[in-house]
Amino acid sequence: MNSTPMIKATNLKKSYGELEAVKGISFEIARGEVFGLLGPNGAGKSTTIAMLTGLMKPTDGTVKVAGDELSSKANHLKRKIGFIPQELALYPTLSAYDNLLFFGRIYGLHGKILRSRVDEVLEMVSLKDRAKDQIETYSGGMKRRINIAAGLLHQPEVLFLDEPTVGVDPQSRNAIFESIEGLNQQGLTILYTTHYMEEAERLCHRVAIIDHGQIIALDAPQSMIHSLGGGLVRVGLMNGKLPAFHTKILELSSVKDAQTIESELMVQAHNTRNALVDMLEVANQMDATITSLEIHEPNLETVFLNLTGRSLRN
Amino acid sequence: MLRQIIAITIKDWQVLVRDRGGMVSLFLMPIMFILVMSAAQQGMYEVADKDNPLQILVVNNDAGQYAGEAVTALEGVEGIEAVTSYDGKITTREYAEELIVDNIFDVAVVFPADFSERVLAAATDEFVEPALVSFIADPATSYQFLAPIRGALEGFIREQAAYAQMPLRLESGFDSLAAQVPEQQAPFVQEVGSLFLQGIKSDDSAVSTGSLGIEFEQTAPAAYKATQFPTSAEQNVPGYTIFGVFFIIQVLAGSILQEKQKGTFRRLLVAPLSQVALLLGKLLPYYLINLVQVASMFAIGHFFFGMNLGNAPGGMILITLATAAAATGLGLLVATLGKTPEQIGGLSTMLALTLAAVGGMMVPVFTMPEIMQTISKISPHNWALSGYQDVIVRGLGLSDVLFESAVLGGFALIFFLFAVWRFRFEEN
Repeated sequence: MNSTPMIKATNLKKSYGELEAVKGISFEIARGEVFGLLGPNGAGKSTTIAMLTGLMKPTDGTVKVAGDELSSKANHLKRKIGFIPQELALYPTLSAYDNLLFFGRIYGLHGKILRSRVDEVLEMVSLKDRAKDQIETYSGGMKRRINIAAGLLHQPEVLFLDEPTVGVDPQSRNAIFESIEGLNQQGLTILYTTHYMEEAERLCHRVAIIDHGQIIALDAPQSMIHSLGGGLVRVGLMNGKLPAFHTKILELSSVKDAQTIESELMVQAHNTRNALVDMLEVANQMDATITSLEIHEPNLETVFLNLTGRSLRN
Repeated sequence: MLRQIIAITIKDWQVLVRDRGGMVSLFLMPIMFILVMSAAQQGMYEVADKDNPLQILVVNNDAGQYAGEAVTALEGVEGIEAVTSYDGKITTREYAEELIVDNIFDVAVVFPADFSERVLAAATDEFVEPALVSFIADPATSYQFLAPIRGALEGFIREQAAYAQMPLRLESGFDSLAAQVPEQQAPFVQEVGSLFLQGIKSDDSAVSTGSLGIEFEQTAPAAYKATQFPTSAEQNVPGYTIFGVFFIIQVLAGSILQEKQKGTFRRLLVAPLSQVALLLGKLLPYYLINLVQVASMFAIGHFFFGMNLGNAPGGMILITLATAAAATGLGLLVATLGKTPEQIGGLSTMLALTLAAVGGMMVPVFTMPEIMQTISKISPHNWALSGYQDVIVRGLGLSDVLFESAVLGGFALIFFLFAVWRFRFEEN
């Protein structure tokens, strides 16, 4: 078994003048893994994926694909990469069939092999019966499916999907998930960027949470969620009593950990209900006024909230 | 790489032919220009031969004979028709002016009542007031059209006046001579003068219908092989075709911008596709469209207006290939300069119109001030038009258009290199 990582990013940075969009990202993706890049809009996900696919030259750092360094001239490596962009990268006045023929030819396919592959991917995305219709006559979900099909024609070894389900109806979204799971079962390595935590939880073996150009957490989704214990309680307090409150609740048995982020307290609880009751009692004893109170069940959204104090969908 | 170039070419061709707006601007607009302008200007280029003479209204108020003799002689000139009555009415000055205002005629010449009297008086008295012959035309008429006609008429009338004066001047000369010789010789001088005058006058007419021993012809330099002068189509079609060819700038640049905005460009940049293949594949369908444009416009000129295509198909093809290269190169350059559809549109229109105007598409270069004639050399339109005129109008061959083709090729190379230098092959 080949143990060379399919993708290796080492200290990737990207600056636009004084703005640092990506501030030194490093990770590896093993062959056959589905790796998630989770973060809010503007976190640096698309910039990272642009560097990983050769769309953009990093300001610093390296990208290796199957052990070889990626450069703009490395066409042999580009043949291993499949890319599904966030926007619908199709020619609307051409049919789905003509779009796929074109992209297949760009990747070096031709003749019977090309036509056979086009038929296969159309079958995969269940659009064979609409193949000769112009893309502009398709629904949004159908366009998304052809968008994905175009990235699979040349049978890449690694597939990059940049938020592929934005604006897609639930039925089509589910179809996309099933396709991705099926492809991964056949051995395809996948990097999947999203700001929907449920997608990352469902599809990804590991997730890197990215915010402001940096990876703030990297682990299997369930491990990250378990680290939160029973959930998260977010408390806001008046009258400058937050530090003292913070110290007291750390002594509670129902509380696993707590940290102050800006003017709020993020409390990881073993059990959110018990922790809530205990914290209210402590606040009462201290004569502290609680200004806000939120309970978050354990999921990746809560993990992000715990790390940044902000919601994924800000 | 070749398969990729062909794939991009086919894809762009498919997208382009489905773009109705693009097809209208590339084909319909230049066709409309050609049809309208060639038809409208047919009269200008085919006037003044025996089948289509220039009609000049003549108002003869002369009490004497010499204006009438001038009109008779004028009617003998091929390509000119002197009209002395219209719609059953004899032309008067007022009627002539009315006909010009109504655009039925373009020019009129009016001989005053004392024309003959003053012409004859001027033969012996240099202080007599001259006869005033009026040349009437709509002031909005082009000077380039009127000046040659007026010049020709003036020359003709002066010639006839000179004939009328000649006997009187000679008689005066002999009288003057008789007064200077000794008295006994004066009658002899006067008799010689009288006999001399009888010899040159015949039938009391001052107009000589004999030959002056001069003939005029209009021809072209021997280096040019043209056998006839161009029709309106031969003058207009090449110019408007070049105009239309350079409309490709906006269509090509817009297509590249659209690819970038729609996201398909990202897909192409991720693919194993060289920069050369990408650019060549994008340019090729537009280059082919340019060639189809030229073929279509010239076919329309030839079959609708009988336009001569010259005797050098090789030269025609070479100029066309070079012109299309310059146009598509410029389109690629504009694609690197404009970042929005509005910028692309504005820049393309400005370049197409300015280069066309500077290059002599709207006003012939030779009529421009010297500095503008120098500036016109920076317009590829100028070189393209010159090349086409060499083949179509001057009857020249392939070797004679090599220089213009090379200049156009040079433009294409400069545009292309500059565009490649500026082209963003990475995400911004």
